[in-house]
Amino acid sequence: MSIIKTVDVKKWFGDFQALKGISMEVAEGEVLVICGPSGSGKSTFIRCINRLEQHQEGEIVVDGIELTNDLKNIEAIRSEVGMVFQSFNLFPHLTVMQNITLAPIWVRKKSRSESEEKAMELLERVGIPEQAQKFPGQLSGGQQQRVAIARALAMEPKIMLFDEPTSALDPEMIKEVLDAMKELAESGMTMIVVTHEMGFAKEVADRVMLFDEGLMVEENTPNEFFDNPKNDRTKLFLSQIL
Amino acid sequence: MIRDSKFFIENPYGRWIRDNLFSSSSSAFLTFFAGFMVIYSYRGIVGFILNPERMWTSVTYNMKLYMILAYPDEAMIRVWLSVGLALILGGLSIGFYNSGKTISLGGIFQKLFTISAVIALLIALAPTNTNVIQNDGSIEVVEIIPQDVRMLILGPSLVLTLAFFFLRNIKIKNLFNTAKVNLTYFGLIIASLYFIKIPTISLDSSGERIIPDPFLPIASTTYIPWTILYIGMLLFFFIGSLLKNRDIKIMARLIPISWFLCPLFIFSWIFKKPLVELNTVFSADIPSILVFGIIGFLIIRFSDNQSIGVYRTPINIGFLVLSIVVFLLPLVFIFKATMVLLLLLLVVSPAIATTKEGKRQLFIVWVVSLFVLTFLIRGASSDTMLVTPTGSIFGGFSLTWLLAIFGTYASFPLGLALALGRTSTLPVIRIICTGIIEIVRSVPYITWLFFASVMLTVFLPAGVEFNLIIRVLILTAFFSGAYFAEYIRGGLQSIPKGQYEAANAIGMNPFQRIFLVIVPQALRTIIPTLVGSVITSFKDSSLVAIIGLFDILRIGTSVIPAQSQPVVFIGRNLEQLVFLSFFFWVFTFVFSRRSMKFEKRLGLGER
Repeated sequence: MSIIKTVDVKKWFGDFQALKGISMEVAEGEVLVICGPSGSGKSTFIRCINRLEQHQEGEIVVDGIELTNDLKNIEAIRSEVGMVFQSFNLFPHLTVMQNITLAPIWVRKKSRSESEEKAMELLERVGIPEQAQKFPGQLSGGQQQRVAIARALAMEPKIMLFDEPTSALDPEMIKEVLDAMKELAESGMTMIVVTHEMGFAKEVADRVMLFDEGLMVEENTPNEFFDNPKNDRTKLFLSQIL
Repeated sequence: MIRDSKFFIENPYGRWIRDNLFSSSSSAFLTFFAGFMVIYSYRGIVGFILNPERMWTSVTYNMKLYMILAYPDEAMIRVWLSVGLALILGGLSIGFYNSGKTISLGGIFQKLFTISAVIALLIALAPTNTNVIQNDGSIEVVEIIPQDVRMLILGPSLVLTLAFFFLRNIKIKNLFNTAKVNLTYFGLIIASLYFIKIPTISLDSSGERIIPDPFLPIASTTYIPWTILYIGMLLFFFIGSLLKNRDIKIMARLIPISWFLCPLFIFSWIFKKPLVELNTVFSADIPSILVFGIIGFLIIRFSDNQSIGVYRTPINIGFLVLSIVVFLLPLVFIFKATMVLLLLLLVVSPAIATTKEGKRQLFIVWVVSLFVLTFLIRGASSDTMLVTPTGSIFGGFSLTWLLAIFGTYASFPLGLALALGRTSTLPVIRIICTGIIEIVRSVPYITWLFFASVMLTVFLPAGVEFNLIIRVLILTAFFSGAYFAEYIRGGLQSIPKGQYEAANAIGMNPFQRIFLVIVPQALRTIIPTLVGSVITSFKDSSLVAIIGLFDILRIGTSVIPAQSQPVVFIGRNLEQLVFLSFFFWVFTFVFSRRSMKFEKRLGLGER
């Protein structure tokens, strides 16, 4: 049973066509890595999945709900889909604890004590329980990204989207974030990860996709993708990146 | 070269002087030029103040007039109560928010050293002579500080400076809490009221001025109340410290709310002495509380009910229409004001009243705010029992204060609403808000004041009449509201798009996104601008002098210079202006320093 299904999704920014018809399915518990050169539409695509961008043609069904202009549907889907951004986007005026408990309290309507307990669990899971009372500005990039992961997980989502989660980090901080993501993948979370971390793709992904100029040019298992790519564009991409 | 001499290289003070004042020839020039200007203006100001032409008794004698104009003497206790309430609350806050910062004895001496050194320097630089213009236009040089007087002050202050210079290196481990030290300083100022003599005027029984002793101690009606208030403040400081040690969390919310409500309470009940008839309380206030209490209860109870939730939009529109009807009908004012509160409840209740606990808390807040609102409006809308010759109990500084505080209170929410409306995606709301902002901002404040005093009555429906002060308040709210709106809009625009996306991605609705994520950040970034704007409206409030209100400026420029009883102060303009500038400066300076501390505290953890 696929938890995300897209049919021929197209998107334009003005005259520029960013997505030229993407059809794909993601099964529950699957880890999908999307890579591709910049401007290939991979970020736009995953942002369409929780309606941060609006697709103009095609069909996106998440967890049995079709994405339409109905606000109720959009809010329902957003609370099922967690998202981690390239630039963290933590709320700078709130402490780490408040960042994580904000949505459970206000959107999921949970009690404060229950949410804080859960938040501490999540912080321990991503390895920074001691930072709970600090402000985001006092943390390193890697720590901030792990808080962002905990914040998304606090909503108990069924799907997690990662939009280049390590691109804004110093090299030595990338590992701590990838470790947290690996742990998450092993726990059976459905994940779509846009990344250039090929090591992560090889090790963790169930499937790897390559986007180029708004089209999905290759879809393969990680081993096949790296060792025996079908498409010439994939070969070129891999030769440049590895 | 002098610059390379031993003093300027090895001595830390010399080093500082070399690096900061004489680092290059152009900076040396600037240092000399600025120093000359400062000393020149200082000597000019001292010469002006000590000029025998000046009659400073015209300021000191009229201090009461300045503060409260014609507020009746028999009700003076109410003025002291107002000041006392603020001081008590201040003491409580200082005790409760005491950061535990400490200062060593050496640190205290260091400060005293700086102060006494500055005083010694100022006395040494003060001019000996000043020019007095004679009646025939000729200029006569008059000695204002004779050498023996100068020496009499300079000597002790130099001795003190030296003493503190050596004392500041004292090595005593004792540390003092800065809050307590500051309270002690304040206490010393109060204590000095018992000794200080200021030039004032005393009259004998027949109303003639007693000439021989122009220097009298400050009146006992001044220092005794201040002493009592200071003791009250100390008492509440210790209560605050106790509450802090007991770690009573609710105070952290109660104190800011009390600060917010304190001026409203002072103006509507203490200062005003309203005439409250039990009749109106039973016929208007109690029904209002009951009716709105029940409506509020129903809203909170059913706000998350699924079967009613379908009709949410029609219900909201219904309430909006109802509130407009309530506003147009000739109902008691309390109903109209409470209706606004009810609309607010309607907006927030779906976001808060989702759990049993949330509902219970919201209901408590609702009932408490109903009572507070009714209580305040009853005080504000009733007639006053005080009789004053000018017809208004507000005058002088109390009027300035009233305009500044109410202007800010009313204009801030209005500005926030206008800013959010202007950035809204709904075209009707956006056009209306943009229109209001642009119209209000493009007309000068003075024009609006004339509008308030002359034109507004023409625009209002027949039979509706407001007091001039209220009309001015309404226009001030709109005028500063429009400016606030633009500042807040600037703050809203400074929030990166990622914050909206992050709020969306965790499933927040637009209301939650705006009020939990965007507005708190936007307000934080514009605190310096907002403080500037509050200061501006505090100062601008003196413009009401031109439409006939007796604020502190009007008293200084036209009331006192026309006094001929009991002493002739006719034409004494200059003294009043000097005093007023100093007075305004003290208030705005203290306010801006406080806000800087506030900013620092809020800026914690920000980049």
